Amino acid sequence: MALKALDIYKLLPKKNCKECGDPTCLTFAMKLAAGKADVDLCPYLDTNAKSVLGATTRPPIKLVKLGVGERSFGIGEEFVLYRHDKTFYHPPGIMFKIKDTQSEEEIMAVTARVRDETLTRVGTDLKFNGVVIVNTSGTVEAYTKAVAAVEKTAGLPEILVSDNPAALTAALSLCGSYHPTLCAATPENFRQMCALAKQHSCRLVIRAPSLEALAQLAKDCVSEGVTNLLLDPAPQTLGDFINRSTAIRQLAITRAVPDLGYPVYLDATGFPDEDAAIALGIVKYASVIVTSPLSLASAKAALTLRQNIYTDPQKPIQMNPGLYKVGTPGKDAPVLMTVNFSLTYFTLQGYIESSRIPCFMLIVDTEGLSVLTSVAAGKLNETLVRDAIKKFGVENEVSHRKLIIPGYSAPLSGRIEEATGWKVLVGPRDAAEIGDYLHEQWKP
Amino acid sequence: MIPDANFGWTSPVGEVVLGATEKEGGTRSRSYQIGGGTTLPFIEKEPKSPSPLIAFEICDDPQYWSPIINDFCGDLVRDPGAWAKTAENTYGADLVRLCLTSTKQRDFSNITTIGKTVETVLSSTTLPLIIEGSNEPKIDSEVFLKCGETGQGERLLLGTAEAGRYRSIAAAALAYNHSIIAQSPIDINLAKQLNILLKEIGVQKDHIVIDPFTGALGYGFEYSYSAMERIRFSALKGDADLAMPMICAPADSLTIKEVREADAKTRDAMAVEWEFATSLAAAVAGSEIVCVRHPGTVKRLKAAFAALKNRTGA
Repeated sequence: MALKALDIYKLLPKKNCKECGDPTCLTFAMKLAAGKADVDLCPYLDTNAKSVLGATTRPPIKLVKLGVGERSFGIGEEFVLYRHDKTFYHPPGIMFKIKDTQSEEEIMAVTARVRDETLTRVGTDLKFNGVVIVNTSGTVEAYTKAVAAVEKTAGLPEILVSDNPAALTAALSLCGSYHPTLCAATPENFRQMCALAKQHSCRLVIRAPSLEALAQLAKDCVSEGVTNLLLDPAPQTLGDFINRSTAIRQLAITRAVPDLGYPVYLDATGFPDEDAAIALGIVKYASVIVTSPLSLASAKAALTLRQNIYTDPQKPIQMNPGLYKVGTPGKDAPVLMTVNFSLTYFTLQGYIESSRIPCFMLIVDTEGLSVLTSVAAGKLNETLVRDAIKKFGVENEVSHRKLIIPGYSAPLSGRIEEATGWKVLVGPRDAAEIGDYLHEQWKP
Repeated sequence: MIPDANFGWTSPVGEVVLGATEKEGGTRSRSYQIGGGTTLPFIEKEPKSPSPLIAFEICDDPQYWSPIINDFCGDLVRDPGAWAKTAENTYGADLVRLCLTSTKQRDFSNITTIGKTVETVLSSTTLPLIIEGSNEPKIDSEVFLKCGETGQGERLLLGTAEAGRYRSIAAAALAYNHSIIAQSPIDINLAKQLNILLKEIGVQKDHIVIDPFTGALGYGFEYSYSAMERIRFSALKGDADLAMPMICAPADSLTIKEVREADAKTRDAMAVEWEFATSLAAAVAGSEIVCVRHPGTVKRLKAAFAALKNRTGA
């Protein structure tokens, strides 16, 4: 049962030391009650208070941070089953698998790819998140070599996968200070894994095929002192994954089974169609997805799907209003006006680029609304366009006075002409037709 | 003991029949009953509802089709009959969706040819058909009536009705007992409104498939994904005006920059990957039919849907 803020406050030290990041113990208590803070942030809680507060006050799914430094990332701390109920907060880390049977060059190449490769979409840089080093050889020697090769290439979040405690111990002597994630604790080996994890403040993947066993294992690991856990429900099929992952999410966010309140780990590499497992993991609650080094097509689709699903549905992505150049437009280049909904901007920009005609794009502030909705809501109007032309100095950039407006804003054409004194040309409704339109119609 | 995850659903999704076998008054080798889901897709205790169906899209005028597909499929694109047959026998599709792109030609009026094309496709494949009709409101009535008449008894799925443009297609569906696709622009309220309009002119709810409109991956797909989830959610919560199966047709997948501008070596892979990721996510959100244009996508989706239906242990 969730506790009220005042009940929680009674258990806090009431020192108002601010070490948790909050100004007073009472505000911290309010955050705890709302599930927005973690008990562990308070350094002065005694174990009794901690166990009382424990799982009832932390976010329904614990925030776990993987890696250290610039490329570290947080997972978990999710609150909903559907993104439209609020939003999904922490996109899953996509981490490339490396085997210690690969050559040093191969290992360094994959690591460098994760370090460097960037896909830029709608103004955002998308990257892979880390590497997963597997002790395929079973030997300590090969494993330490592989870990050393990764270490000398990049400071990325790492997951160390081995059944051999000696191999993990040796690897941790190389990278233990970066708090890697260990994989995997099972009901058989969890004491040993917990001891290692505790010694190096590691995150720990725990694995069991039934939710009962998984919840019990989580409880056992917490009592061994390891709290940064990831759950691997050991799916053998896509059906296993969607069922177990959905159940974990639902039981965690409703706090029906607080012991399942940890982020979910998915190794996509074991499935017959890895891309299917990746896509499923992205939409259905995986927080870490282990993949092989992906082909260009698979990588683009995965990164794009992840960006889509983790876009906050409450706020449309917006562009800054302004005058943007496509290519190097001259004084006689066309000026195309459109709204600042980023999807509209990037779609239109893409088609203008393919038309190979240098243009100016005049982006007006419709607060992120699309053309259709902003026309309907009256947000897109002649005053807005007139002011934008002035504000962004369009008159100094071109020698003509012609403005191309989106097809769906055709009803405004007369009023825009009157307000601006510019000749208004109504462009196509579909951005895909802009190339043909410009080639056929545009004369300065 | 772990309790079952409780979602509080009260009603199943409605059902729609596609295609008719000889026994059912048609000539198809099979018919499908879609819908009927009682919870979120793929998590029923005893999977009763079938796997999502994969519709392969063909057209009758390839000048309006993606050059990627025209190159990949070769001469087939100029022979809708042979193309439909290949979709069934080689690609492994569950449905064929014939898009009458010839109606995009300026001042198109050749309705007789439309009837012939539909006839050819019906006789070339034994699969149930979706027919995507006119692109021009002026000829809607003639085109849909011709399609409806030619496919009489076959329980076609006719597309696409929109608010403000649904009467002709509904008339053809009602006259010849076909079902229709009702499309709204990524908005659950508009989807509901259109279903009510259709109900008012006599289209039964078991003859409607909702198309919430699918934006391409990377170009608004997230809105479509959530619209689908919300429609499924409403259906399960008992909203009868949204309790119809859904169709996902990401037609723009092949025209977006990532696919269009991919180099010759990777563009087929890119096209397949884009269709695959979109369709898989849409099926998980609740689409009972997914439409694709690249032959390479069909079998991969089929295997993935089978794997999603497959569960080991509890």
